[in-house]
Amino acid sequence: MRKKLSQIETEENTFEVSISYSDIKFDKNNIGEIIGYSDGKMPIHFEDMINKIIAKFPEKCEIHAGYKLLDLQYLPNKIDGLFIGNHFFKMENIVTGQLKKANKAAIFLCTIGDEMELWGQELSQKGDSVLAYLVDIVASYAVESATDILHNYIGETVKEFGWNITNRYSPGYCNWLVNEQQKLFSLLPKNFCNITLTDSSLMMPIKSISGIIGVGRNVKFSIYFCDKCNANDCTHRKYLLSKTK
Amino acid sequence: MNEIIESIGLCIEKGKVNKASSYPIDMQGKDGADEITKSALIQNIGPDEILKTCNDAMQRIGEKFGRNEVFVPELLMAAKAMTTVMEHLKPFFQAGSIKTKGKFIIGTVAGDLHNIGKNLVSMVVEGNGWEVIDLGVDVKKEKFIKAIEENPNSFVGLSALLTTTMENMANTVKEIKAEYPSITVIVGGAPLSAESAKKMGADAYAANPQEAVLFLNEKIAS
Repeated sequence: MRKKLSQIETEENTFEVSISYSDIKFDKNNIGEIIGYSDGKMPIHFEDMINKIIAKFPEKCEIHAGYKLLDLQYLPNKIDGLFIGNHFFKMENIVTGQLKKANKAAIFLCTIGDEMELWGQELSQKGDSVLAYLVDIVASYAVESATDILHNYIGETVKEFGWNITNRYSPGYCNWLVNEQQKLFSLLPKNFCNITLTDSSLMMPIKSISGIIGVGRNVKFSIYFCDKCNANDCTHRKYLLSKTK
Repeated sequence: MNEIIESIGLCIEKGKVNKASSYPIDMQGKDGADEITKSALIQNIGPDEILKTCNDAMQRIGEKFGRNEVFVPELLMAAKAMTTVMEHLKPFFQAGSIKTKGKFIIGTVAGDLHNIGKNLVSMVVEGNGWEVIDLGVDVKKEKFIKAIEENPNSFVGLSALLTTTMENMANTVKEIKAEYPSITVIVGGAPLSAESAKKMGADAYAANPQEAVLFLNEKIAS
């Protein structure tokens, strides 16, 4: 049974959730699927490398996760996006279609820190491109898994009020422009979860995920959401697909 | 002589870097690209011949990658074996007895930090005999322009993974073409297609590293 996580309220409606490296369960078959190997057919050499990376993960990660609950409004006369807090977020129907029935938005951030990224860069510089690549894959898997844990936790927390949650949506995906990150971050406390934005709206540490989860009585989580999109090489889609196999 | 040349090709295709390398499992304890290339040069096998077998091997592994028969780790191992051979051939490049096919400037466009696809293209293109100038990730258009200015007659490759950075890519293509209309620009990355590449004014779209190589090779042959 998964251990119960805890949260602390740092500001009004803003929570930091404590997630530990031991909460992340690495599944090598799923990681193999993300790379492209189906049915556990990853060459043993690469599997050994992944084992070594996973063994080092506890000393290479610093997980921070949190969210803020804000009012969400969808106006039928302004269908090209949503109002969250005091900002209008421009989104396509692929996102608004799922979020428009929500009453609230959980703006979330999650990171595993920068140590895995730095390790990968160091390996690349030393010419060990394969290990560097696998470190990147494991790190991406870890941050997605940590975000899954946060996502589920938010779901469990709001369930107490009779609310449901939607899938999560991130700037940069589902045709939601990456520069909308600036608005998203402006709704959160400065350096929330130790994550900052670059001028080009990218998060630092790199292995971080930001986004929105719709919350409300009339919303639902959709397992087959990615079927609506044609971005076959999307990293989030690959992660979700690996989980369904 | 054919045997030694074929062995170099096999080492590259299978990613056998050197004798100490435990990869691939069926070649453990055997000489790798490093030892065999050294031996080939001692036997006076021409560096151009070694380079050709390397290019052919990289083409074969690139084709397998395009058919999903192998994945990124195998391609990277092959590129690593290729790099080992290139180290031995470096003095011949410097002396001018063998020449690179040209210069290829590559980078991931501004707003995007994904480097795996870009690195793969870099390695495969380099493995096919090109000099690669890698500008890194989150590269602003001004940096591409400066690199072109410093390396006239080069070819340019732009990479992106995020659907939302295609706008930056389109702007970069536009700026490059405005300053250097004759420069050839190839684009690639998950959110792109031949149609979107054409729309943004790029000369070509490469779905995988091998397609980039084929396009570049055709371009210099024409």
